[in-house]
Amino acid sequence: MKINFALLLALASLIFSTGCARNTPFPKDANVSSYSIDVPFVAPRSELCGSTSLEMLSSYWQSKGSYTPKLSLKELDERTLIPLKGGTLQIELIAAARANGLLVYPLEPNFDALFMELKANHPVIVLVNRGLSWYELWHYAPVSGYDAKTQTILMHFSEEPNEAVPIETFAAIWKRSGNWGVVLLPPDELPSSASPKKYLQSAYDLEKIGMVDEAIVAYKSALSRWPQDIPMLFALGNVYYSTNQISSAEERYREILLIDKTHPLALNNLADLLCHTDRAEEALRVIDTAETTDTKILSIINATRQEIIKGCTLH
Amino acid sequence: MKISKLILSFILSTTLFAQVSFAQIASTEALGYGSSDTLSSKEKLAGILSREDVAKKFEELGVDVKIVEARVASMTDEEASIVANQIDTLPAGADVGMSIVGAIVFVFIVLLITDILGLTKVFNFTKPITN
Repeated sequence: MKINFALLLALASLIFSTGCARNTPFPKDANVSSYSIDVPFVAPRSELCGSTSLEMLSSYWQSKGSYTPKLSLKELDERTLIPLKGGTLQIELIAAARANGLLVYPLEPNFDALFMELKANHPVIVLVNRGLSWYELWHYAPVSGYDAKTQTILMHFSEEPNEAVPIETFAAIWKRSGNWGVVLLPPDELPSSASPKKYLQSAYDLEKIGMVDEAIVAYKSALSRWPQDIPMLFALGNVYYSTNQISSAEERYREILLIDKTHPLALNNLADLLCHTDRAEEALRVIDTAETTDTKILSIINATRQEIIKGCTLH
Repeated sequence: MKISKLILSFILSTTLFAQVSFAQIASTEALGYGSSDTLSSKEKLAGILSREDVAKKFEELGVDVKIVEARVASMTDEEASIVANQIDTLPAGADVGMSIVGAIVFVFIVLLITDILGLTKVFNFTKPITN
């Protein structure tokens, strides 16, 4: 009897203390309408929810048009499961998605961003803790919509497609992962909740792991939304330069200088490019206009000037 | 170990190559998004070493040796260093088909009740009571 009493007490305190999780930050009043995205369903397999979620989103984007996945389901399995952990790390979910040719945009951890993406027909993979903070049961699943009438989140949670999860339950289990979610997109598609700075990071991550063609497409599509974004122009110029698309690179650097003629990094790279395309005089004129108080950038500029003076022998 | 050495030499060689041919180019990282944090060679080396660590840990955790290299190669330096340092505490999304055989009765009851209250979503047979 004593144990039972303790149990009840523990339960009561637990329920009481987690009860406040019900004051969830989702936009209850606003004009949140219903969204439903036809994400193909793949039945769950033990320990492979990461890979399964990736597969569902890849086939969704494949069904939408130009995107072709680079990895098979088997390859996704091999790249995501850590056998002795019995699951998939968030970083590896991201890495595998990128290797599959998709851009991975980390969702802002809130309901507004989630609904913005659903509205744009972008399904979102979320990480939830189905258990409790002291009894963790981590799970990935794609969110495929929202039913405003019943206030349920639609997701391929388990055995049945588009399972309706009451928004309060969803809020509770999502909150335990810090509202973690990722938008996976073909690089010609932009997240509707994106900021240029964070998007550049996502696109640059593609470039860094060698998905250069995808990165170029991503920079270009970002520039169609933010045509004056200097960091984006600079990144695109650099990836063109590093893949020997010299005239495209030069155009991007000059575009930056039309917006900001003192941009030291653009001046530096343009000077380097001119130097290596037999235009040493112009290169020297350009580098001599570059000024900065930043010591690291200054040392790059000085090195470029030295190289121009030496006669640009490399390349 | 063999694999990680391979990765190490591959990355070192690409890094060196990049440095030789584009010695004076300011990389996209030089933007630093407002500041000037370009990667120093020390940080680059740290990135390479953490890849080696990740590869080793993956092998210990039962990842097929044949695929370790590809998995590590698809991470950025920052990601590799996070995994190398925190792999034991990072959450690993697993699955829905939880085995309740191992779970003690106490946990089972708690989760059952919290499921019904809609605070958790562990068992497939529960339907939360919502207003």
